[in-house]
Order: sequence, then structure tokens, then C-alpha cells
Amino acid sequence: MLGNKIGVISCSGEECLGGTISRLAVRKMMEELKPGMVSTLCLPLFIAGDGGEREFAEKYPTIAVDGCSKCCAKRAIEKYSNAVAGSVDVAEIIGAAKALEKPLSTRNLTDEHMEYVKQTADKTCQIFDEIIAKK
Amino acid sequence: MSKIKVIPCSGIGKVFGLLARESVLMVTSEKCPNDTETLCLAHVVTGDDEVVGKIKGETCITMDGCAKYCAKKSVEETGGIVVKSHKVPDFMKAHRGEEHGSGTALTDDGWKYAEELAEILVEDVKEIKAEVN
Ligand code: SF4
Ligand code: SF4
Repeated sequence: MLGNKIGVISCSGEECLGGTISRLAVRKMMEELKPGMVSTLCLPLFIAGDGGEREFAEKYPTIAVDGCSKCCAKRAIEKYSNAVAGSVDVAEIIGAAKALEKPLSTRNLTDEHMEYVKQTADKTCQIFDEIIAKK
Repeated sequence: MSKIKVIPCSGIGKVFGLLARESVLMVTSEKCPNDTETLCLAHVVTGDDEVVGKIKGETCITMDGCAKYCAKKSVEETGGIVVKSHKVPDFMKAHRGEEHGSGTALTDDGWKYAEELAEILVEDVKEIKAEVN
């Protein structure tokens, strides 16, 4: 393992609100909640990358943060790299109907959306801390 | 013809991915909602039958955040026909020295650049539609 870093990868889904929340939750982890402790990667790099991207989840215990119950990030990581160490589904936090609403520009974020981001990031942090405690 | 698929990459580490995402959202939600739609790139990557059915043989435009061209490659791999492909840094020349923001949020200059990228995509959509008609 490389230091104390944990991989956190969002689906960043472009088609629905859940994807926007997943992406912002990971950014919040990187910038505010666990600065310097999060390693991330653009999800499609697992298949499009020509470097060592597919080894990512072998190098780092990795948490997938998905926008809906299709869990694309979790499945893509497991298909192309390694089993995930934990996963978060935004739909389980904000409800499936909400998660599948239209995607949102960051220009149009409301306090309600920021609360969804916080709840998703908090859940991810909880899993993060559990992984660190086991190390 | 079915709606043109306009697909950004899912870049998260730097501002380029957010510029790609926001410019595409402007096109699919505001500028050309009747002619375009987007798909989750991560879903495309899974190769699920459902998403392959939506994209295979379809006209697609991609906007990538860097030269790895993840959106273009993933869409092609899934059978989409990429008729126009761009990457955000291609249009940076006129914007040198500007601060566009981060992977989390854009600055005013970032929004102006995203708007410019969106207009490039709108021109693509017009061109594709003119060829079909
Ligand atoms: S998990 Fe849901 S929101 Fe995320 S990429 Fe897949 S379909 Fe889109
Ligand atoms: S094209 Fe570049 S910025 Fe976009 S997902 Fe791929 S590696 Fe990330």
C-alpha cells in the first residue's frame, strides 16, 4: 500500500443529479474533509488509460461513490482493477427518485443540494475512517 | 434522426473535466435540448446492454478534458459513432493567463470559457443536422 492514502472514485454521472452529488462529495473529501489523504482517478481512465491505471485499486484500498443504484463506478473498478474496499450509493442517501432527477450545473446548486453533498461525503468519510482503523 | 449524444469525459482532478461537463450541460439542457442528450460516461464504460443499446450506431460528439480522450475512446469502444471530438485545452490559446477555477467550481472566466466551448458544440450540432436534412 502507498502510505495512508485511500482511493475514492466517483461515477460523476452526467445524466442525473446523483452523479453530480457523487462528484462533489469526492471533491469535498479531497479539499476539505481528508486533504492529502485521498487519491482519485477519472473513472473512464480504467479502460481508456494506457498507463498503470488499472492497478489503481490494487495500490489503494478504494471506495466507489455512485450516483444511483446502477453502481457504475463500483462495477467498473471491480471489472478493470480490483474489488472495492467500500461503496456509497447516493440514491440510498437522498432517495432514488431524487437521485435520478436531471443533472445539475454547479451554477444551480442550492443549500439542499449542498446538504446532499455533505451527507454523501460524511458517509464516505465514515467508510474511509473504518478502512484506516483496520490498516 | 434520434437525438445527438453529446458526451463529456468525467475528469475530476482538474478544471478541464468540469469545463467539459458544464459546456455539455449547457448544450443538452439549455441550448439544444430538443436535438441533443447526454449519457453517463461511467455507464458507457460498463458496457451494459442498456447503454450499448442507446449508443451503438448513434451520432455522438465528445468533449474531453485532456489528451487521454477518455470520452471519445469509451464511446467508440461501445459502438457510438464519434463524428466530432474535442478536448478542452484545444481552445485555450485565447485564454492564456486566465484562472478558470478547479474541479469543484468555475470562476467567471471559467464560465465564459465553458460558454465558448458550448457554442463550439452548438455549431457541431447545426452542422450535423444540416448534413442529415
Ligand atoms: S451510477 Fe448512476 S449516476 Fe452514476 S454513472 Fe452510473 S447510471 Fe450514471
Ligand atoms: S480525458 Fe483526461 S480529464 Fe477526461 S476523464 Fe480522461 S484522463 Fe480525466
